[in-house]
Amino acid sequence: MTQTSKTDRREFLKKGLSLGLAAGGAIILGKTDFLHAREPARTIPDLVAVKNGDPDAMFKKAIALMGGMEQFVKKGQTVVVKPNIGFPRRPEIGATTNPLLVKTVIESCYQAGASKVYVFDNVVTPTSGNARNCYKLSGIEDAARAAGGIIVPVDDFGYQTVNIPGAKTLKTTEVHRLILDAGVFINVPVLKHHSSAHLSIAMKNLMGIVRNRMKYHLTGLDQCIADFCLYKKPDLNIVDAYRVLMSDGPDGPRDPKDAQVTLKKTLLLSKDIVAVDAAATRIFGKNPEDIGYIKIAHQQKTGNMNLNKLKIVTYTM
Amino acid sequence: MNPVKIRIAVSVSIFTLFLFLFCGGEKTVSFLSSALLPLQFVPALVRTLTNPSALFTIGLISLILMTLIFGRVYCSFLCPLGMLQDIFIALSRRIGWRKTHSFQKPRNLMRYSLLGIIIISAALGSLSLLNLFDPFSIIGRFMTQFIQPLFSRLYNFTIRLMKLFDIYLFSRDISPLILPALLVNIALVIVIATMSLRHGRLYCNTLCPVGALLGLMARVSFFKFAIDKNRCIGCLQCADVCKAGCIDTLNAKIDQSRCVGCFNCLSICPQSIVSYQSSVKQTANASWSPERRSILIGSVAAAGSAFLMFNSGMRGLLQPVHAAPASPIAPPGSVSLDHFTRSCSSCHLCVSACPTKVITPSFVEYGIRGLLQPKMNYPDSFCEYECNLCGKICPTGAILPLSPEEKQITQIGEVDLLKDKCVVYVKNENCGACVEVCPTRTLTFINKGNILYPEVDNRYCIGCGACSHACPTAPKSIIVRSNPVHKKAEKYVAPKLSTPQEKTIHDEFPF
Repeated sequence: MTQTSKTDRREFLKKGLSLGLAAGGAIILGKTDFLHAREPARTIPDLVAVKNGDPDAMFKKAIALMGGMEQFVKKGQTVVVKPNIGFPRRPEIGATTNPLLVKTVIESCYQAGASKVYVFDNVVTPTSGNARNCYKLSGIEDAARAAGGIIVPVDDFGYQTVNIPGAKTLKTTEVHRLILDAGVFINVPVLKHHSSAHLSIAMKNLMGIVRNRMKYHLTGLDQCIADFCLYKKPDLNIVDAYRVLMSDGPDGPRDPKDAQVTLKKTLLLSKDIVAVDAAATRIFGKNPEDIGYIKIAHQQKTGNMNLNKLKIVTYTM
Repeated sequence: MNPVKIRIAVSVSIFTLFLFLFCGGEKTVSFLSSALLPLQFVPALVRTLTNPSALFTIGLISLILMTLIFGRVYCSFLCPLGMLQDIFIALSRRIGWRKTHSFQKPRNLMRYSLLGIIIISAALGSLSLLNLFDPFSIIGRFMTQFIQPLFSRLYNFTIRLMKLFDIYLFSRDISPLILPALLVNIALVIVIATMSLRHGRLYCNTLCPVGALLGLMARVSFFKFAIDKNRCIGCLQCADVCKAGCIDTLNAKIDQSRCVGCFNCLSICPQSIVSYQSSVKQTANASWSPERRSILIGSVAAAGSAFLMFNSGMRGLLQPVHAAPASPIAPPGSVSLDHFTRSCSSCHLCVSACPTKVITPSFVEYGIRGLLQPKMNYPDSFCEYECNLCGKICPTGAILPLSPEEKQITQIGEVDLLKDKCVVYVKNENCGACVEVCPTRTLTFINKGNILYPEVDNRYCIGCGACSHACPTAPKSIIVRSNPVHKKAEKYVAPKLSTPQEKTIHDEFPF
């Protein structure tokens, strides 16, 4: 009895000590980025979150922690980058994706060997004049051009009808061909308040690749947003939570003075669109359970919103 | 230098600039409209009479002086519809429908009484008749309804082809076809084309009110065309090339009031017997003619009877349209339906320039007094909050220029939310399409049990129609009702924030 209890205690001490050392070491090494530099991530984390840096630096860090852009973009592939360019607003308002982030993502795709990188969004009121304003005012047109991205304007010709197996409401919709033909589809949404869907993040951003978004509004936003992900999930989701519009979304006020923006200086990266939305919801200060489409998508097994079940790598710059 | 060559060079360049004016982008239109339109007679006249502006008044005075000095050269040099007719005439000569022209009898009773009726109806407050026959308005509508859609389709087609080479450009929006307005314009173009193909510049000397008015001035112009009766060999070549048919070779007389100043006769005359010189030098023949007196009496009589007719019968029809439930919505800057219908010459420049194509021609929506005048075409499109182009380019001041700040508080209508149709109220499901696009905070949500119900506050509404355009229900659950007199909306002021707008948070990761 005593013998065993002795060994037990010794064992316990040994295990505890080594575990503690390992954990402590991991923290220290993690901070200095020693571990990752030595050993490129064999197993890609489910989600990477980086904070307190500039949009470009945070992205470079996050994609390195994710194992590099080469994990997602292979040599010679065409890439479609889908930012949120839905409204004619300046970047300060936080209604559109940060232009510097878009530029860095495009550069990173080309460095990984992409043959062409397209940038596309179907703006909320798709007249060509309004679309031009959105692309221009958001700063994304200039930023994308500077990185060699090909800006694709909205038009009515490039859509193709698709069926969505397993969908409850949105059984069929029209998707832009650019997305269907692309080798890699990278979703670059901005985290912001949304008047009728509570939050607009990665899943909501996919409303910009379908032709008729009003069908969503008419038949139930949450269900349709979740249904679409049964058809198409992006290869990578990069959530811009640098400047977060906390109210008056999705368009925000016209005047940057009136914008209630919080500098969260955060960036999220994940293949799992539900997980990334759940994490972004936490960053906004809400509970993923309360966001209709996140809950539905989780139930429809599109992804996992239980963040404690996921392998998350965080990094503070 | 051959005056005919100068004339062709000037008129071709004016016509080309008009093509740019009606097919170009926003910047082209704003620039060209201030450069070209002050020298168009009807816009300059209507602007000066209804909403005076220095530029257009100077334009009008120069045009009048030009006519008093040189005769009706406006019709051959500056009028784009004149140029269009010259194209038809050249075509007719090329295919042999009409190789030569000949002297035509003046149709003075017709043209002066038409002019009289137009002036009277304009004085009574309706430009409808003027707009039907005014050459600038006709060419404007011709460009807007035929040339621009053709050009835009061609442009969009080219863009689609360029996509194959990975070049992506923004396509152009195309105005919807408004059938009644289109039919009126097709009819007018057919009439004018037939007239010019068969009889040269017949329109200019029968239906055109500008032609008639300038003709009256040209009678007393300083420079005149004349034939030296003593030296003329009667070869008739001048009459052959006279598109206006105003050279009476039999009596060696040229009807100054009908001469469009094309200089064809001058350059073809083999002996230089046709001359263009100061009227003082010309032997003053009869300053009195029985013919002229009968014209004067005739036109006075026609004008008088027209005046009586308008006063008794048609006056009611010409009254301003008042807040009928479906009265049309006039573009921002047009002050009121009354002001708009009184000064719009239906040239449709705003229709062709409008970036969202929300401005479309009406037919009789404004009543008989405002035939074909443009209106806001809700809910097919909406008025862009940041845009104030139509006011900047309107030549007659029917749509007055507004600064972006003024435009953003000019209320041209108010919205009406039909809760018995709205999907949120009917099905208790979130939609929010209207609130999402409202630029003014007119539409906000009221949260009841996590369902967001849209609510209207018309104090802020400017009637831009973005909500109605976005509304997914059919028929629309939110519509814009016209303000017969435009009002000022309040500007929404965001409540003072207690904390700085850009908050920085340095918490740990919440997961």
